[in-house]
Amino acid sequence: MLDPVFECRSASVTLALRDGPRPIIADISLEVHSAEFLSIVGPSGTGKTTLLRMLGGLLQPTGGEVLVKGQVMTGPPEDVVIVFQDYANALLQWRTVASNVSFGIERVLPRKECADRVRQALDLVGLLGRAEDYPWQLSGGMQQRVQIARALALRPAVMLMDEPFAALDAMTKAGLQDELLRLRDQTKTSFVFITHDIEEATYLGDRVAVLNGSPGRIEQVVAIDLPFPRDQIATRQLPEFLEYRYRLHKAIGHG
Amino acid sequence: MASGRAVSRINWPGLAVLALVLLAWEAVVRAGVIDFEFFPAPSAILAGGIELAKDGILLQDLLHTLLSIAIGWSIAMLIGISVGLLLGFSPLVRRYSLASIEVLRPMPGIAFAPLGLLLFGFSLQTELVVTVLPTVWPVMINTMGGIANVQPRLADVGRTFRLSRHEIIRHLLLPAALPSIIVGARISLGLALVMAIVAEIVGNPEGLGYGIVREQQALHPEAMFAYIAVVGVLGVILNAGVLGLTSLLWPATVPRRGM
Repeated sequence: MLDPVFECRSASVTLALRDGPRPIIADISLEVHSAEFLSIVGPSGTGKTTLLRMLGGLLQPTGGEVLVKGQVMTGPPEDVVIVFQDYANALLQWRTVASNVSFGIERVLPRKECADRVRQALDLVGLLGRAEDYPWQLSGGMQQRVQIARALALRPAVMLMDEPFAALDAMTKAGLQDELLRLRDQTKTSFVFITHDIEEATYLGDRVAVLNGSPGRIEQVVAIDLPFPRDQIATRQLPEFLEYRYRLHKAIGHG
Repeated sequence: MASGRAVSRINWPGLAVLALVLLAWEAVVRAGVIDFEFFPAPSAILAGGIELAKDGILLQDLLHTLLSIAIGWSIAMLIGISVGLLLGFSPLVRRYSLASIEVLRPMPGIAFAPLGLLLFGFSLQTELVVTVLPTVWPVMINTMGGIANVQPRLADVGRTFRLSRHEIIRHLLLPAALPSIIVGARISLGLALVMAIVAEIVGNPEGLGYGIVREQQALHPEAMFAYIAVVGVLGVILNAGVLGLTSLLWPATVPRRGM
């Protein structure tokens, strides 16, 4: 696999609004390596979602360029898929769980292979037993796992996640965080994970990029050197963890 | 299993109340509390209905009304869904035509009966003019709303999975709008029945609507009420038919109960 998977070269997005152009993100330069977990953290209004939509090809940069596996990106790239925060809107409510998971691959793969991949993806997120249920019969955490399984079935090189756990309770969130790290180990997928939660960014990331200001810029990238496997209790009380947490809070401008 | 569920869905207490009302009606008429010769008891209405059925004329009238509902509703669905889709997908078309629609929509369909009579005389065509015009609106408005109100997120999902614009419409937007389109189709069907009966009363001397008038003029209140009852039952059956068909074709679009 070509490394880096993603590369932004001073990319920026300026929206043409009625009252004139408004820069949303500016001068973004970053790399995402294969099987890397990159967290992007920042206060609201700094263009986190815009950055993710640009990486996902839903939005063209108005300046600079974004490269995927060395190619300049012109639209949603193959091998890159977004997992959205609002799982209830992002799932197809009229389809069963299994049929939701096959959504991204059913037009490309033969039926048999499609069914195999759906089973594997559901197994990875622990939802094999709920394959025939409809999304509205599942809890919020399970629905978000369906969305993750739908992305996994594509066997993407990169998963872009836009505050995927923001609407979930603390316990469900902790479980899914560990699940993501396990999935990264099992599938060697790269993750770009957007969050406003500094602890979550630190716990998950190999690196944490701080997006700040208006327009949003990457102000700092912090390499997180914490031992694996990470543990919800032990990792979070390591002095290094607290140190990273302090540094990132400082970088964002708290205290 | 499906039939077991259907039975358990029957509203028994509601039916019991209905039966009580009928019994009370019967008792009141028989006891002579209401002394009005054109107000027959339910048993007399039933007997009148059986007479009409034996005669064969009830079936003939029923078939005529069913036919005109079927044709009228199909035309309305065709126009309503295609125009509704156009309005839903194109904000531009919506902007230019919504004012005209809002002016046309409140006009009662029956107001066009004289026009139909001028154009087509006392005929099925006149009946269809009266039936189709008002029946178009519910399905059109619901189709438009269904498409225009689809979560924009679904289009994002389509794009991140690299679907073409055409595939996004077919696999995401249309299925998401389907429940709303079906609601519109059901409202339109109920309206098609009402308008067909009205048209048969004023414009086309055939079918169940005309049967009501005919028996009224012949001073047969039992037969007249029997026709009215058949119209009511037909309405219930048509609605249940659409619901049943929908749950068969698209199980996930049927209104869900609890969790």
